[in-house]
Amino acid sequence: MNASAFLVAATAMTISATVSAAGAHSGGHGGGSGEPGKASEVSRTINVEMHDNYYEPESIEVNPGETVRFVIENKGKLVHEFNIGTPDMHEAHQEEMMMMVEHGVIQGGTLNHDMMEMEMDMGNGHSMKHDDPNSVLLEPGKSKEIVWKFSEQGNIEFACNVPGHYQAGMYGDVNFN
Amino acid sequence: MRTTFLAGLAALLIPALGLAGEYNLTVDRVQIDTGDFVKEGIGYNGESPGPVLRFKQGEEVTINVTNNLDEMTSIHWHGLILPYQQDGVPGISFPGIKPGETFTYRFPIQQAGTYWFHSHSGFQEPDGAYGAIVIEPEGREPFRYDREYVVQLTDKHPHSGDRIMRNLKMMPDYYNRQQQTVGEFFSDAAEHGFMNTLKDRMAWGDMRMMKADVEDLQGFTALINGKGPEQNWTGIFEPGERIRLRFINSSAMTYFDIRIPGLNMTVVQADGNNVQPVNVDEFRIGVAETYDVIVRPRDEQAYTIFAESMGRSGFARATLAPKEGMEGVVPELREPARLTMADMAGMHGMDHGSMDMSGSSDMAGMDHSGTGSMEQSDMAGMDHSNMVGMDHSGMMMSNTGASDPFYAKGSGIVPVAANGGKFLSYADLRAQDPLYEDREPTREIELKLTGNMERYTWSINGVKYEDADPIRLQYGERVRFKFVNETMMTHPMHLHGMWSILDVGADQWNPIKHTVSVQPGTTVYMETEVDEPGQWAFHCHLSYHAAAGMFRKVIVEGGPDTTQAQTDAVVDNGGDA
Repeated sequence: MNASAFLVAATAMTISATVSAAGAHSGGHGGGSGEPGKASEVSRTINVEMHDNYYEPESIEVNPGETVRFVIENKGKLVHEFNIGTPDMHEAHQEEMMMMVEHGVIQGGTLNHDMMEMEMDMGNGHSMKHDDPNSVLLEPGKSKEIVWKFSEQGNIEFACNVPGHYQAGMYGDVNFN
Repeated sequence: MRTTFLAGLAALLIPALGLAGEYNLTVDRVQIDTGDFVKEGIGYNGESPGPVLRFKQGEEVTINVTNNLDEMTSIHWHGLILPYQQDGVPGISFPGIKPGETFTYRFPIQQAGTYWFHSHSGFQEPDGAYGAIVIEPEGREPFRYDREYVVQLTDKHPHSGDRIMRNLKMMPDYYNRQQQTVGEFFSDAAEHGFMNTLKDRMAWGDMRMMKADVEDLQGFTALINGKGPEQNWTGIFEPGERIRLRFINSSAMTYFDIRIPGLNMTVVQADGNNVQPVNVDEFRIGVAETYDVIVRPRDEQAYTIFAESMGRSGFARATLAPKEGMEGVVPELREPARLTMADMAGMHGMDHGSMDMSGSSDMAGMDHSGTGSMEQSDMAGMDHSNMVGMDHSGMMMSNTGASDPFYAKGSGIVPVAANGGKFLSYADLRAQDPLYEDREPTREIELKLTGNMERYTWSINGVKYEDADPIRLQYGERVRFKFVNETMMTHPMHLHGMWSILDVGADQWNPIKHTVSVQPGTTVYMETEVDEPGQWAFHCHLSYHAAAGMFRKVIVEGGPDTTQAQTDAVVDNGGDA
C-alpha cells in the first residue's frame, strides 16, 4: 500500500553517478553566482535535504566571499537537482533539463546513466551530461557534495530545474549577511 | 515562506474543533443571476454555488444537511473516500433526504486536495446544487504558494434540468445550434470536391449523428464561482506571489479549455491527487474533474482566466488582478472543432460499402485504413483496434495536425494551445507519490460506452441502467476496466468510492483519478483496487447521459471483516442520477 518498494528499486541501481563536482565549466554557468571553491577554504558545511518537491532548508545565509561545502541528499522518491545560480541561469537551464526528460535521461525516480555518459550533441553546445560544478543531479537516496565560493553578493537561488519543480516551488534563497 | 492560507480557514460555517468538525448545510430554493438571465434554482445555505467546505485530513466530519425543498434531495461528496452509506446516492447509498428532514453525514477525511459536492437527485445539480471542498493535508504539500482560490465552473442554462431532458428526448438536436448549413456544404464542396463533401454528409446521416455533436447542450452561460463573463469574478494578488488555483468543473455537460494569457500554469494536482508538476499553457477540464495549478504573475497587471467550452459555444471568464476592477483583454472564441470520421471509428455496424472512395487521391497522407499508422511510442493503454477494416480515406479529416494519444488519430477535437504552446494531455500525468503498488490486475471488465443520438438513449454495453444487472466486484481484487467509446461524444466516467488508476503507460506512476474522460473512437483503460465494501454508483458524469441510462450500480462483495454490506437491503426509491 505504499511506494517504498519503488524507492528500493530506484536505489538498487548501483551504477556510479557521473556527476562530477569539479568538471568542465561549460554552458556559461557560474557568472554572477560565484565559482567552484577550494576544499581548503571551506568555512563550514551546510546540509541540504531534497524532498518531493522542496528543500530543507528553504533559505541559507552566507557571507560575501565565503566558501561553503554543501552536502546534498535526495530524500525524495523523484530525481532532483541542486543548482546554484541566478533566476535567469535557472530559466535557461530548465530548457536543457526539459530536453533530458524528453530524451528519457530523467524518468521520474531514475536517471539513465548510459545516456548521460554519451557525448550526445543536442545542438547549441548542449549535451546530456550534467557535470557543471554549480549543480548535482541525484536519484532518490543518493548524496553528493559541492564546494562553492560565493565570491560576491548577487540575486542567487538554489533550485531544482527538473521540469515543473522550480515552478512548483522547489527553490531556496541565498541571503547575504 | 511556508504555505499560507490567506483565504480564511475559519471564516466558514462552524470552526473545526480539533480533529472533529461539525458543519451545517441547508438545501434551498435560490435565485441565480448569470448576468445574462436570472433563474430560480437550487443552492446551499442560500446561494449557488454553495459554500467552500474546508476540511483537514484526519478530521472526523459531521455534516447536517437540512432539506428546505418540497422534493427529495441528497448530497454526494465527489471524489471522497468514505463508507458507502455516506456517499449520498439515493437508491444506492441511502434512501435520500425527504423534504423538511435533516440528514447527518459522518465520515473520516482520509485524503487531501480539491474536490466538490453536489446533489445526486434528479437534475438538482444542473439547477445549481453544487459547491467546493478543500482538504488541507496533514503533512506539507509537495509545492508551495502564497495564496489560493477555488475556481469553480459551471454551464448554467436558462432551462431547468427537467425541461432540458424532455427536450433532448423529444429532439436530440434541440440545443445544437452549430449544425452544418447548406452554405457550408457548398464551401466544403469548393474546398474538398463535391463528391467528397456529399459522401461525408451521407456518412454522417447514416450514423444518425451530426458533425457538430461535440456539445449536445448549447445556449448556456458559463459561470466561474457563480459569476457570468460580464460579472467577472476577480481574484486579487500581489505581483510576484505564487497563486494556487483550484479548478473544478461542476458543469452538467460542458468541457472547458482553460488558459490565462500571459501566464504559464504548473499543474500540481489532478482530481485531488498530487501529480508530478507539469508546465502547460492550456488544459482541458472534463465534467466533474479538478485540476490545481500554480501561477506566478510578476507584473502589476490584470490577467484573464479564459475558459472556452470544448464546442466553442460559450466561455467562462474571470480575472486575476492586483486591484479590484482591473480587467485584462478577453480573447475571441476560437472556431468550433468538428468531429471527423476518426472520432466515429469506434462505432459498430457501419456499412460504407456502397460508397465510392474514388475521390481519395486528393486526400494524400490521410490514410486511416487501419491501426498500422499508430506510431506513437507512448500509446500504452490505448487500443484503437476498432478502427480495423474501416477505410475512411475519402472522408474529410482533421486539419489541425495535432495529436494526443488519448484522442483518436485524426480526431477533429484534439485540443491545441491558443499560443501554440503546451496543451496538457492525460499522457503527461504522473502520480507524485503513488498510493498503490503496481500489480497485475486480477481480471478485465469491458464497458462499451454506447448510445443512440437519434433517440437520446445512452447506455453501457447497449443496456441502460434500469435494465442492467449490477457490476459485481470482489473485495481485494484489482480490476482492469476497458472503456470502449462507441459513440461520438466524450464521456467522463466516474466511479464512486474507489480510485480510478488511469493507465497512461507509466506503470507504478500512473495517476489516480475519480473521473476519466473517454474520447470518441478511443479505448481507455483504468484499474481499481477494490478496497471499499458496499455498493457504489458508476456513471457518465454528463447529467443527461447519466439520466438517460449510462449508469451502473457496482456491488463490492466481501469485505475486510464482518462489516459485510447488507447491500441489497438499501431502499431503492430515490432518484438515480
